[in-house]
Amino acid sequence: MSHNIKILPGATVCEDCTLEGDITIGGGTVIHPRVTIIAEGGPIIIAEYCLFEEYSTIIHKKSDKQENPPKPLFIGAHNVFEVGCKLESPCGHIGESNVFECRSFVGVDVKIGSGCVIGAACSLNAPQTLADNTVIWGSEHHNREALEKQPSQMLQLDFLSKVMPNYHRLRKPNVHKRQTSRQSQEPIKA
Amino acid sequence: MAYLTQPDYVKYVCSCGQLKPITNLYFCRHCLQIRCAFCICHEVDSHYCANCLENMPSSEARLKKNRCSSCFDCPSCFHTLSTRATLAQPRQSTEQGSGDTKVENKQPKKMYYLSCFNCRWTSRDVGIPDQPVASGGWPERANPYATRVNQLLDYYKAIAQQEKQEKLDRERKKFAIRGKYITLTDKTGLTGAMARNIAGLPSSESSSSAIASFTPSQASEEVEELPEEFYTKELNLNQITSMPQRLASPEWQPTHVSRLHPIAKLLSVKRSQRCRVCDHNLTKPEYNPGSIKFKIELLAFYHVPEVKIISYEPIKPGCTSALLLKLTNPTGHEMQIRLMQPEDIPEPEERVDEPKSIEKSLEKSLNLEKDTSWYETVKRKPILLTECRITIPDVTLTLAQRDDAAEYDDDATHDANDIILWRKSNKLALRLQVVTSGEAQAGAAAGAVLALQYRYRNAVPPAAQPPRDHTLHAALRLHLGPVCG
Ligand SMILES: [Zn+2]
Ligand SMILES: [Zn+2]
Ligand SMILES: [Zn+2]
Ligand SMILES: [Zn+2]
Repeated sequence: MSHNIKILPGATVCEDCTLEGDITIGGGTVIHPRVTIIAEGGPIIIAEYCLFEEYSTIIHKKSDKQENPPKPLFIGAHNVFEVGCKLESPCGHIGESNVFECRSFVGVDVKIGSGCVIGAACSLNAPQTLADNTVIWGSEHHNREALEKQPSQMLQLDFLSKVMPNYHRLRKPNVHKRQTSRQSQEPIKA
Repeated sequence: MAYLTQPDYVKYVCSCGQLKPITNLYFCRHCLQIRCAFCICHEVDSHYCANCLENMPSSEARLKKNRCSSCFDCPSCFHTLSTRATLAQPRQSTEQGSGDTKVENKQPKKMYYLSCFNCRWTSRDVGIPDQPVASGGWPERANPYATRVNQLLDYYKAIAQQEKQEKLDRERKKFAIRGKYITLTDKTGLTGAMARNIAGLPSSESSSSAIASFTPSQASEEVEELPEEFYTKELNLNQITSMPQRLASPEWQPTHVSRLHPIAKLLSVKRSQRCRVCDHNLTKPEYNPGSIKFKIELLAFYHVPEVKIISYEPIKPGCTSALLLKLTNPTGHEMQIRLMQPEDIPEPEERVDEPKSIEKSLEKSLNLEKDTSWYETVKRKPILLTECRITIPDVTLTLAQRDDAAEYDDDATHDANDIILWRKSNKLALRLQVVTSGEAQAGAAAGAVLALQYRYRNAVPPAAQPPRDHTLHAALRLHLGPVCG
């Protein structure tokens, strides 16, 4: 598998994580150690200010009816992936300001809008589309519609990007500003 | 032993006949009997809020309808709501409109709202305005049926009072027949109404007026028809409340999620337990709600020898299987244990050899008046018939007292004995034989019964007597998995 990791300026990416395939990480995004992001079915593009906590796993799965060139998996801004959550998706798009709580699982045929919360240990396997601001919680997967998007984690991200360099080896941003704008344009066209 | 998630393999027979794991049983040191939650008296010690740990007397709790005034539960998922702070930006438009006059007021103000960490419901979802203070001040919703509920309350209070009065009158008549005593009212010529007035009690007239003016509600045949939209309009389940959500606030029973309102948190109680036979406390918690300790804690786990199943051979009809048990002496005194069949437990005899003091006889006469009919209805004979029968060895086992330091000692000593497998401080392992009858059905649950006769030293005897040893019995039922085919 080709390794083509693009880290934009302002992103905090720990060295101790598994990044495979064609991955673009937006500015302001924080990736904790032990995170796994595998782009085997196509590129993964992560927008700005996302938070990936320890042991979260994002896999862009290979599928049989793959288009050529493969469609990228685009993860919108301000998404929070809490400890141990898992997302397997060949679908092209994850909205913004979603929260994937601890040990939640999102299977392949789930389309996720914006402002959704997948509760701790909830697992979504059946093909479905989550409307914006859907909150799923509890062992019985109750769901409700929130009035507004979840508050952003800007303070936390700010803090982490200041503190993490003191305790972890980081991967250096390898894309310059000029290229940045072109990169982030791509998914919108796609 | 009781497990958190597994079934209870060893159950003890309570003095009332219930089968319970040892961790759910109490031991009355005064009756020297095993008691369970089913046959003891539960009393409320104190009311407190489990969230803020505020303590309140029962009268106040009743006044507040057993709810905390500062904590709330989520109306959506019933988890406790947390208070969250936000910085409210002063409105831009007003800023510009009023110009320089509000410059010093520009600092963002801290505002608070309630939020649920489980389902992410917030007080903003239903349009409750943010509050400038962290606790309290949340708008309360008035109960639309408050007047009717109060009417009902008054009515039943009046009825209760009337019944009490009637009972008192009856009592007085009894005394009058005896003719020995002169009641206060008789002597002074006061009437009942005057006496009530002096005592500050509401006069009987007012209570009777509450009864007279009360109108019972009427059931009606005619029910409003459902509006047309119930049949035609598409339902959005996200907008409709669930049944538990409606029942959680019975005053309003919101049908729409936009009408959900924080639920004032229900108070918890600290309970103490009392033996119903001798009226002594079995457990008494410390008063402070933050403390999980007990002042009195007479649990069977600390007084009755504990039996655990180590392992057993599969139970087959008509076969003999080995059964390994572990016995533990939880007390601070050496204990002699004999195994026996439950049917060989001698019937408890009335203890008549007790020294008869004045106190005792007084107690007895009080006990005579005590209503003990409950015990007859509660008591049952446990079903201890099983297809498996444990062959009981005729030995007396001696178990050392519990010694917490011995936990760190060396390996167990292995006795050269067919019955005792090993010993280690206050524990020993036994090897027993289980004979299964040929009629046992394959697949059915196999159970065996066993009784223990043990010497128990009552270390805290009443009034400075020397500690006394008692011979006590406990019957228990072991679950040995399914009968194999
Ligand atoms: Zn009982
Ligand atoms: Zn409280
Ligand atoms: Zn909730
Ligand atoms: Zn008792």
